[in-house]
Amino acid sequence: MRISYNWLKDYIDIKLPAEKIAETLTMAGLTVDSIHHITGDAVFEVEVTANRPDWLSYIGVARELSAITGAKLKMPILTKAPGSKAKSAGVAVKIEDKKLCPRYTARIIRGVKVGESPAWLKTKLEAMGLRSVNNVVDITNFCLFETGEPMHAFDLDKVESGEIIVRNASRGEKITTIDGVERTLEGSSLVIADPKKAIAIAGVMGGVSTEVNYSTQNILLEAAYFDPISTRRTSRRLALSTDSSYRFERKVDIANILYASNRASNLITEIAGGSIGELIDIGAKPAGAKTISLEYEKLNAILGVEIAPAKVKKILAALGLKLRSSTKGKASFQVPVFRYDLNNEIDLVEEVARVYGYDKIPVTIPSVIDQPDRMPTDVIVTKKIREILTGLGMDEIITYSLIGRKMLKAASISGEGIAEVANPLTAEQEIMRPSLIPGLLNAILWNVNRKTKDLKLFEIGNIYVKESDSKFEEKKFLSLGIAGENSSWAAGSRAVGFFDLKGIAETLLREMGIRNVSFKYAKDETFSASTCASIEIEGDAAGIIGVPAKKVLSNFDIKEAVYICEISVDAIIKYADMKKRFIEPPKYPSVFRDISIIAAKNVLNADLVGLMRATASEMLKDIKLIDKYEGKQVPDGKISLTYRLEYRDPFKTLEEKQVSEAHAGILRALEEKFGARLRY
Amino acid sequence: MKNQIKQLEQAALQEITSAAVSKDAVEGLRIKYLGRKGVVTELFKKMSELPASEKPEAGQLLNLLKNTVTKALDEKLNSAAGIEEEKEALDVTLPGILSKPGHLHPITRTIDEICRIFISIGFRVVEGPEIETEHYNFETLNIPLEHPSRDAFDTFYLKSSGKYLLRSHTSPVQTRFMEKNKPPFSIVVPGKVYRPDATDASHSFMFHQIEGLAVGDNIKFSDLKGVLSIFAKTMFGKSIKMRFRPSFFPFTEPSAEIDISCIICGGDAQKIGGKRCSLCGGKGWLEILGAGMVNPKVFEKVGYDPKKVTGFAFGMGVERIAILKYGVSDIRMFFENDVRFLEQF
Repeated sequence: MRISYNWLKDYIDIKLPAEKIAETLTMAGLTVDSIHHITGDAVFEVEVTANRPDWLSYIGVARELSAITGAKLKMPILTKAPGSKAKSAGVAVKIEDKKLCPRYTARIIRGVKVGESPAWLKTKLEAMGLRSVNNVVDITNFCLFETGEPMHAFDLDKVESGEIIVRNASRGEKITTIDGVERTLEGSSLVIADPKKAIAIAGVMGGVSTEVNYSTQNILLEAAYFDPISTRRTSRRLALSTDSSYRFERKVDIANILYASNRASNLITEIAGGSIGELIDIGAKPAGAKTISLEYEKLNAILGVEIAPAKVKKILAALGLKLRSSTKGKASFQVPVFRYDLNNEIDLVEEVARVYGYDKIPVTIPSVIDQPDRMPTDVIVTKKIREILTGLGMDEIITYSLIGRKMLKAASISGEGIAEVANPLTAEQEIMRPSLIPGLLNAILWNVNRKTKDLKLFEIGNIYVKESDSKFEEKKFLSLGIAGENSSWAAGSRAVGFFDLKGIAETLLREMGIRNVSFKYAKDETFSASTCASIEIEGDAAGIIGVPAKKVLSNFDIKEAVYICEISVDAIIKYADMKKRFIEPPKYPSVFRDISIIAAKNVLNADLVGLMRATASEMLKDIKLIDKYEGKQVPDGKISLTYRLEYRDPFKTLEEKQVSEAHAGILRALEEKFGARLRY
Repeated sequence: MKNQIKQLEQAALQEITSAAVSKDAVEGLRIKYLGRKGVVTELFKKMSELPASEKPEAGQLLNLLKNTVTKALDEKLNSAAGIEEEKEALDVTLPGILSKPGHLHPITRTIDEICRIFISIGFRVVEGPEIETEHYNFETLNIPLEHPSRDAFDTFYLKSSGKYLLRSHTSPVQTRFMEKNKPPFSIVVPGKVYRPDATDASHSFMFHQIEGLAVGDNIKFSDLKGVLSIFAKTMFGKSIKMRFRPSFFPFTEPSAEIDISCIICGGDAQKIGGKRCSLCGGKGWLEILGAGMVNPKVFEKVGYDPKKVTGFAFGMGVERIAILKYGVSDIRMFFENDVRFLEQF
């Protein structure tokens, strides 16, 4: 909301410069976001919090400023005494829904001369960013800003038979509002109607049919209280937020309606002439004021400061609260009606703290609470994963959890069990990602397009699954992706491959203390049938690794070779063993023996290694593949594999003979089972 | 013989010193003195001709001579080797062979740093779900349905039969945690949050928050000031000033917004040459946090007795902190994942 410095000074005797006032208001909770200096004036852009509708007016802001600074408040003086009658010649008001409209006043003013507004009025409205319409309409707007009470002037002669009915709209009922738009209403919206039609959307906007224009002579000035929730619903449904609806949504001061109506009537007859006629005021009178009690000890305990009772009473009195009773330890206060936000003791504590000054409250340190587990396992494990991966040269990425359906399709991921967003802003936010892979491929694309040669990325984040219409799951996953080449002037360059990524995954799992990991050829829509493996931990499916399918790469417009992997972090958490235990380094030396075999091309490394392990005794400590060859030196359809086997006995130095026997046994087994031949 | 040995020692040492510093020259001298027919070797042979009484002393002296010559020759050889190695000196200005380090995402770094500060003053880290219900996202936090206080929390909803949504703040973890735990405790909650905001340089529909909550029988507003002051000074430097402004959040009361003095101009335009500060816009203050004392209504919703416990809560946007800390100009960069950006952290 805007507040003009000049206009504000109409209501308060204050000499402070604009900047100083802005700071004072800000430090009282009415934040001044910016100050615009215009000719002869300064306009504040203020941010009024939802709890303080009483600040949505000049009088409200002046009242606050007066309470804080002690400067005198100057309320506009009403020169003409208002008339009041329950009935009026030829005018009647009926409220059909007293819940949505507890109070309605209609003031009749006859014989006005609608015309251009005087310059001072135009200037004031311009400062608020409003254009002048005519003197009568401008005065209602002026009074809205001055008093915070939205009012509406109807052309009385256009109100059918002078009858005002406050009722619910019938479903589909239409009204053309003063902005010229025809709007269709729903049954629950409150309207002001005459016997034939709706003539205004209550609290939101007036209708064009009863609009005040230059030919208007007699007016009916409405000042009322409309239900906040109902006004808000209507305003939201119509996507029509006005200065009026904004205030009704936040509750207007029901006790001040008549004052505002009288003030507007005064100004209208002053500026547009005419005479103030009868007033129809129906509905409930404002309820009795609330009384809240405050214990000084409680106040001081919450704030951590000693504020003297006299000071507390002074602060609350300045804010318009009336002291009702006072004992040594506590006092009770009557709250002005416009302070809808004050209902409980804590609300008074806040008022005292706010005006006393947060800056005067001391700085203390709470006593430390004994909490041994300061990091949950999940957090520790993911932190460790990040450490290992960055140590392996991987850069961490964070991609959006919301993605477009298109991305899912592009990655050939099934559309089953997807959590869908009901109100996305763009097509890129339609669904919650069921996989980290689309985001990873996007990040890879972004970087290869920018000529990154050596790309190593990972992400840890949730994926989302819709289990049923009322059950959603979040699962923590890890994605890995590499592309480009390893190159150095010394070693030359080598394109990265599947086994680089597999090595990263294996190292990660090993470092997490996970032992039983296996990679098995797998098929998956997202991956190429040539290069895809499932990752299993202790036989549980834990992830997938490979080369994206050609169509996936082309959907993402990636031309480079990339390798990707996705692993369940929950599986890592389940099997991780982060307890470190010391194992004595071997005392006796190892004996290394190589084994070079020629086997059929379709024989799997895992099967060969498995057989070697199964055959060997306890002595065999490690098997390492050190060479793999296929080409001219070996027959067609065969490959040559060289393994380095490590033998060791923990209790003595191994003898040559023992090792040779064991080694020969392994070779024999390989020959029998796989037809493998020793290669010389 | 004694004299003969002494003379030979002098001559040998002199010849070794003045000889050329090369492997070949040293080898030549080694043969001359220590070879099978070398001068020293010959002297050893002559020892048999000495009377028995002189033999021990002569033997001792000869051994000393042999050691001295050997040592001198070895030293010469080392120098020769040094000169030869020098000829093959490596071009040490060639670039090192890179072992490229990986980098944590700046948001992760910032979350870690913030959590570390709070852990050091006794807080524990807790996480909560991103898919939430209206109950936890709003109702338990005293944000009623169809109330203007919801305006600050535009929210993504999911297509579902219940009112499932993407949490628009990390605060729902407050009430989730309180329902399952008894005070006293102090927790920090990092995580992703979502709001349907149009994306621009300072808005993102997904971002991260860190929530804090401390509840006990004697937690005061002054404690909130103390804890946040430790945080701000550790995060942004000792000279940072803080300002608590009254504000409104439905789940805290009294509520405050917390500003720190501008980390570029410190509120003094003179410091940056009288120009309008690009970071704070000349205000001198930067908003970093929202906080307050837990509203008794929130305690009531989780079954705590507000007469017996008090607490404070705070929340901050991680991207905002990272933007200030690292001087990042556009929030979108955090999610583009350009390695030229990521590798700076």
